[in-house]
Amino acid sequence: MRTNNLKMMNRREVIERTAMILGYAITGPALAGVLNGCKATPEQTFVPEFFSRDEASLIAALTEIIIPRTDTPGAIDAGVPMFIDRMLKEVYPKESQEAFLKNLAAFDAGAHKAHGSSFLDCGHQKKIEYFKKHHDDALQDNAGAGSSGWWNAGGKDNKPFILELKELTLLGFFTSKPGATQVLQHNQVPGPYKGCVPLKEVGKAWAT
Amino acid sequence: MNLNLDAEKQNSFDAIVVGTGISGGWAAKELTEKGLKTLVLERGRDVRHIVDYPTMTKEPWEFPNAGRLTQEEVKYMPVQSRTGWIGQATKHWWVNDIENPYNEIKPFDWIRGYHVGGRSIMWGKQTYRLSDLDFEANAREGIGADWPIRYKDIAPWYDHVESYIGVSGREEGLSHLPDGKFLPPMELNCVEEVFRDKVAEKFGRKITIGRVAHLTAALPHASSRGICQSRNLCDRGCPYGAYFSSNASTLPAAQKTGNMTLRPNSIVHSIIYDEKKGKAVGVKVLDAETKDEIDFFARIIFLNASTLGSTFILLNSTSGRFPNGMGNGSGQLGRNLMDHQYRVGAEADVDGFEDSYYVGRRPNGIYIARFRNLGNDKRADYLRGFGYQGSASREGWISGVKEMMFGADLKNALTTPGAWTIGITGFGECLPYADNRVTLNKEKKDIFGLPTLNIDAEWKENEKIMRKDMKESAAEMLEASGFKNVRMYDNQNNIGLGIHEMGTARMGNDPKTSVLNRWNQVHEAPNVFVTDGAAMTSSACQNPSLTYMALTARAADHAFNELKKMNL
Repeated sequence: MRTNNLKMMNRREVIERTAMILGYAITGPALAGVLNGCKATPEQTFVPEFFSRDEASLIAALTEIIIPRTDTPGAIDAGVPMFIDRMLKEVYPKESQEAFLKNLAAFDAGAHKAHGSSFLDCGHQKKIEYFKKHHDDALQDNAGAGSSGWWNAGGKDNKPFILELKELTLLGFFTSKPGATQVLQHNQVPGPYKGCVPLKEVGKAWAT
Repeated sequence: MNLNLDAEKQNSFDAIVVGTGISGGWAAKELTEKGLKTLVLERGRDVRHIVDYPTMTKEPWEFPNAGRLTQEEVKYMPVQSRTGWIGQATKHWWVNDIENPYNEIKPFDWIRGYHVGGRSIMWGKQTYRLSDLDFEANAREGIGADWPIRYKDIAPWYDHVESYIGVSGREEGLSHLPDGKFLPPMELNCVEEVFRDKVAEKFGRKITIGRVAHLTAALPHASSRGICQSRNLCDRGCPYGAYFSSNASTLPAAQKTGNMTLRPNSIVHSIIYDEKKGKAVGVKVLDAETKDEIDFFARIIFLNASTLGSTFILLNSTSGRFPNGMGNGSGQLGRNLMDHQYRVGAEADVDGFEDSYYVGRRPNGIYIARFRNLGNDKRADYLRGFGYQGSASREGWISGVKEMMFGADLKNALTTPGAWTIGITGFGECLPYADNRVTLNKEKKDIFGLPTLNIDAEWKENEKIMRKDMKESAAEMLEASGFKNVRMYDNQNNIGLGIHEMGTARMGNDPKTSVLNRWNQVHEAPNVFVTDGAAMTSSACQNPSLTYMALTARAADHAFNELKKMNL
């Protein structure tokens, strides 16, 4: 569903739309460069309804770091940034919305402090480095917490921002068609349950 | 005058059944198959099998927001959403709490579905018999009222119901969890088999595959129902009709007789009592669409409006003869509300078995039969006992959140199923307490002008002490089975959240202490039968739906025989 927009638009439209969302005026040679596949920023294919354009760009970049495109689709291909935008808008209670935005801003401010520029303006290596530090620290600080899974996106507990974003990304990605069917496997009608099957006969992990 | 007589004739039936859920469907089937012209009333909208299951085949990506309720939707379901598992796929089955208010004197989660089929569409399908350990408990311990029946009275009706609905399970030969008429059992997975064997070896306790109303083999008498395909999307409605619901099974059977008149959008206001005849003669209905008031008449009336729905109708049926509600001479109507406590147990990690996986999403798990206060086990600190439900599985992609990796590494790692984990949650018996009760609130009316229910109930000492044991015994069994990192949990639940609310019009031999007799007839109005959860004299710890169905079939048989003898 979430990829339909992408399918309906041609490549140029996508880029023009992205430019609009990102607030960039891409003209002439710059547009040609983008069309040739030389992208400095993650492309976006939706109009954010909850986030500002800058916030949406930041979210998109972070989701793609968590689940990048490899030989299979990544978070942006699967529409995860829009998924998160709509989750925040429609599912999150007000206080959780506010906390999320505050944490997102603090994350970006931290990048300024550490690297002297906003997260999006950092080079790829710096981005990864900064993300990794936040991510690993958050996990270390919360070792043992949520051992049975972090399954409460939109809940009111104090989960570190970076892990909440990671959870939202995995949730959006693995409930999307590309995530469920191309990265994992999905079968709505498996037939009678078989309890003990050699893993090699089953193959990949089930999406649901 | 003639017009009135015509209307009365047109609105007259042999029997009226109020409610179409798990017990109402059975009343409809049994009464119509015996040849009685039966009016079946449902307060909610019509739901036809398959045709009216809008989400049954949708894929995960076809729901917005990964299937979660929006804040806007939660506004209309502040109570229903306490379950935590109602989402886009199933939201249409649960009531709008704003339009269906009640009053929580103490916190009580009243989780309801108002439509044809009721909660038989969304039920858990776990199907267990009660035994004399349960039927004799009140008398043995001097608690509440004695059940007026014993296992031998209901056993043939358990057979009758199980054979018809289809129950998969394994015969285990336990006297306190009697075997039934089973279809082939579903499989355990590798880790569950180990758990079963260890718990048998170290504790002498029985772990079996859940006994469930899913077809694992064809039923010769129900060719329209197919075998379970392990989709585990049951509560959307099953396109195969593989699990039992009123919609897939009993209502079509009743329809086939030609004797059923099904009337959705019909809210029963009260039972009409004719003071001259000294008997109940019909029911007063509010049409939910037109708001018209219509009277329907019949020789017998079956209340199957769900525990609190049926008790509401009796409480609201006042007359010179019954100033405090029909059949309430004992003062017990509305009292002894019970539920099962759960959301307490333990979970653990499992080393090994990396080469094993499973195919299918089994809509079922393991069941650990009660082991407390039976045989040589005697607890000094509490009465009764509990069973456990649970399962073992391999962690899925959500476990990736806590992995110390991201990017391509994480994406790749998640294509392999995660480590095995195992967990069990207890389902504990609740004693009947006279002050756990519901009453009518005539000040606060609903949108139809009907009074609302005040619900005043809570867990008490016996439940709280048992709960601690439910948690610790779970951990003890997981530990002894060699599983790692055993974690106890207690997620608390308000009374009601078990969605096994029962009692409030209990059966008993003595009209002074009970509302219903041994045939589920209102002692003081014998042509009125109450055969849903309201009738329960104690709660046992087993999932109760099978017992409601068996009591209903048994009562319908009795009602028919009494009608033939002109006794009603």
